[in-house]
Amino acid sequence: MARYGMALDYKNCINCKACEVACKEENGILMGADKHRIWVGVKEIEGEYPFLSIVSSSFEPSQCQHCDDAPCQEVCPTNATYYDENGVVRVNAEKCILCSYCMNACPYDARYVDDRTMTVDKCNFCSDTRLARGETTTACQNTCPTKVRTFGDLDDPNSEISELLRTREHFSLKSHLGTKPKLFYLT
Amino acid sequence: MAETIQQKQSIKEFIATIPFNKIGIKDLLNFEKTPQNMLVAVITLAFLAFFVLGVATYLMHGHHAYNVTREHPWGLLIAVYIFFVVSSTGLCIVGSLGDVFGFKDYEMISKRAIFGSIVTIMAGFAVIAFEIGHPVTMLIYNVLSPGLTSAIWWMGTLYGLYLTFMIIEFVFLLKHNMKMAKFFGLTGLLVGLAAHSNLGGVFGFLNARTISNGVFYPTYFILTAFITGIFIAFIMMGFRYKLEFPENAKVMLTNLAKIQGLLISILIFFVTWKFLTDIYGDMPNRADVAIHILGSWTFWAEVVLAMLIPLFIILKDMGKNLTGMFWASLSGMVGVFFMRYNLVHDTQLKPLQMMKTTEYELAPSWVNYFPSMTEIMISLGGLGLCILLYYVGTKLFNLDADTHH
Repeated sequence: MARYGMALDYKNCINCKACEVACKEENGILMGADKHRIWVGVKEIEGEYPFLSIVSSSFEPSQCQHCDDAPCQEVCPTNATYYDENGVVRVNAEKCILCSYCMNACPYDARYVDDRTMTVDKCNFCSDTRLARGETTTACQNTCPTKVRTFGDLDDPNSEISELLRTREHFSLKSHLGTKPKLFYLT
Repeated sequence: MAETIQQKQSIKEFIATIPFNKIGIKDLLNFEKTPQNMLVAVITLAFLAFFVLGVATYLMHGHHAYNVTREHPWGLLIAVYIFFVVSSTGLCIVGSLGDVFGFKDYEMISKRAIFGSIVTIMAGFAVIAFEIGHPVTMLIYNVLSPGLTSAIWWMGTLYGLYLTFMIIEFVFLLKHNMKMAKFFGLTGLLVGLAAHSNLGGVFGFLNARTISNGVFYPTYFILTAFITGIFIAFIMMGFRYKLEFPENAKVMLTNLAKIQGLLISILIFFVTWKFLTDIYGDMPNRADVAIHILGSWTFWAEVVLAMLIPLFIILKDMGKNLTGMFWASLSGMVGVFFMRYNLVHDTQLKPLQMMKTTEYELAPSWVNYFPSMTEIMISLGGLGLCILLYYVGTKLFNLDADTHH
């Protein structure tokens, strides 16, 4: 049993979108399906020339935060959304009734309707592919050219992610909501 | 074995002795052919045709036939479902005044209101069945793997129970077994109130949606249910007596109008304070959303149609202008529809992810939504279904108070 999480050195992101492509390829996401599973948010430069605030511009890679207290799981009427043995928040498509409550409850806009199964899906840290094969990687992490993403077991003190979280300052998105995300943004 | 047969026979006998009129299509077509009645009949038929068309389009295209999006996953059908179940809970409260709480003046509307609560919730279920993507899966996994932390689970399950209790209460009312009607009426009322506040909880539990999060909706839903119930009571009685009310109806409706005046005043008080607390302090995702809502015409439609017009009519003659109240109640119901629509739409106004994700676009601002034709057709169809079921009920059962007690 592990407790998987991801650290994002987001200031290294160059918005090449290789992670989105790799995710689509790995998980069979339809072409043109925008913001399915992962995306990169863009914050543009603020101010007017010549007083441009170049520090205001940033790229923020995002996806399901795999919260320890996931609102999407709490609101699911049929327990279609569940925590697996690795703490990954996952969806059992057979049980999903497409009430869309999880889409409204997720503070991170991480849930989307998969047009093939007509159920609400989300990132599952490549649990059906890489994790199932025993690898401790995700497609997005593996492909990132600037090594933004570090994936690993938060419970293992020797893992790279644990080391990073011990030595680098970090924050979580919307942590005031008490969701306890397992995605950490390194500063 | 013999006992089981006996039990079966007694159940059969119980069902066989439920008083109802044997009617055919001819009886249904047999109504006074006044222009007003014909207009209502044509509108109802048109709405039913819309329902068939809307459902057919949905069955062909699924949720793509709706204008719901990832950012705005709940649309008009959710609002209309809430509209119907609020109506049902409200009618249940009005119906309970007489047969549960024993206020004699209100006994004359009990049977009609309880029947109304059954048909409105059935119309609500008919509409929501085409919004939930997999209703059959819902029936199965609601039982096999219940999500007990989900307000939707509690709401759906309790409403199912509520409908059962309402039907049983109605049967006992028809049989004039007031003791049992009172028992099932009280149980149904309590279950209905629990279900309805859970529906408010569906929105109140949304931590991510600051504008809806909190205790407001679960309590406000009960208040607005009572208000809606009284509006429908006026509409039903207005049609029943063609606006020429007998003395006992006048007494009851005047009292109801006075109660309505109090309830609407409390509602205005609630809503005013909700907006004051929402805006005060300029809290992000709440104050900006509240100010945006104040600028929308649908909010003012709700205020004018459901609050100001009815309250003005009530206060002008201290609730004695019953014909005016009938029309004010029609206005009120249109306002209540906007109330439900606003509740659903406003919850989703603010995008959860405020950064742009593709080039050549602007960063997200407000989430826009306007229902598709399919959504509108199914919604109107729900109303048509409700009117049809109620009309059939007026032919099939004696919905007036029994005169022999």
